[in-house]
Amino acid sequence: MQLKMFVLSGAAVALWLVPLTALDKRVGWHKSIQGLSLGAAIACAVSAGNIARQLADEAEIEAIKSRAINADVVDEIAVSAYVSQQQRQQEAEAILNPVEHLERALALHDAEVERSELITQNQLAEPEAERSENGELERAERALQLKAKGWGKAKIILEVWGVSKGGSPKYKAAEAEYKRLVEESA
Amino acid sequence: MRAMYLGNYFVAGCIASSFLGWVASLHPMAFRAIAFLAAATFIIWGLCWLLDFSVSGWLKISVNTLQALLLAGLAASAIGAGVFLCS
Repeated sequence: MQLKMFVLSGAAVALWLVPLTALDKRVGWHKSIQGLSLGAAIACAVSAGNIARQLADEAEIEAIKSRAINADVVDEIAVSAYVSQQQRQQEAEAILNPVEHLERALALHDAEVERSELITQNQLAEPEAERSENGELERAERALQLKAKGWGKAKIILEVWGVSKGGSPKYKAAEAEYKRLVEESA
Repeated sequence: MRAMYLGNYFVAGCIASSFLGWVASLHPMAFRAIAFLAAATFIIWGLCWLLDFSVSGWLKISVNTLQALLLAGLAASAIGAGVFLCS
């Protein structure tokens, strides 16, 4: 491409100057040749200019690319240097003051454990309370339904609470709850 | 490479100026036409110098670029005409 451009440039200059200086203007066919060569010279010069412009644009793009690559490399080196410096600083701190480092780590660990325990307790407590409330409501509903059907107390307690009649504390608690529910509904 | 393409366009301008001189030498009427064209071009060239800021805004180029183009055009015309007249 460059060779073509140089050849076209040289041809343009040659076609411009040689016929004008070598040929006689007074001779008809000489004059015609001069005109033709001048036209051809203009075409050669414009073509060479276009090629040169294309090459200049390509060279500019290549320069931009190489600048971008250089900037990337410099940035990468700077980042790695910064990170390694931080690592060295942390290692130096750890070596110089291991007790303080250990205490800080333990304190952080304790705080984390406490926080996670609190969160877990809250998470566990909330559904348990909800569950017990829901269970009580369900039992009350079921017991009242059965009572409306005409079931007896002992049978209802056996059905709803799963406790058979007797003097056991479970039966007594179920009986007390049954009574409370019946009184509330009445 | 940028200098090469600017140089090539400059040479093209010089050759175009010589070509106009050659056309002018063909016939007296052609000479008058080319003389009229040259006079009109020169008037426009002078107006461009006077109204450089307006013209540069209209062409969307900087004033420096416009002045460089005007000077290069004048130089190319002078060189082309000189080469044709001296040959």
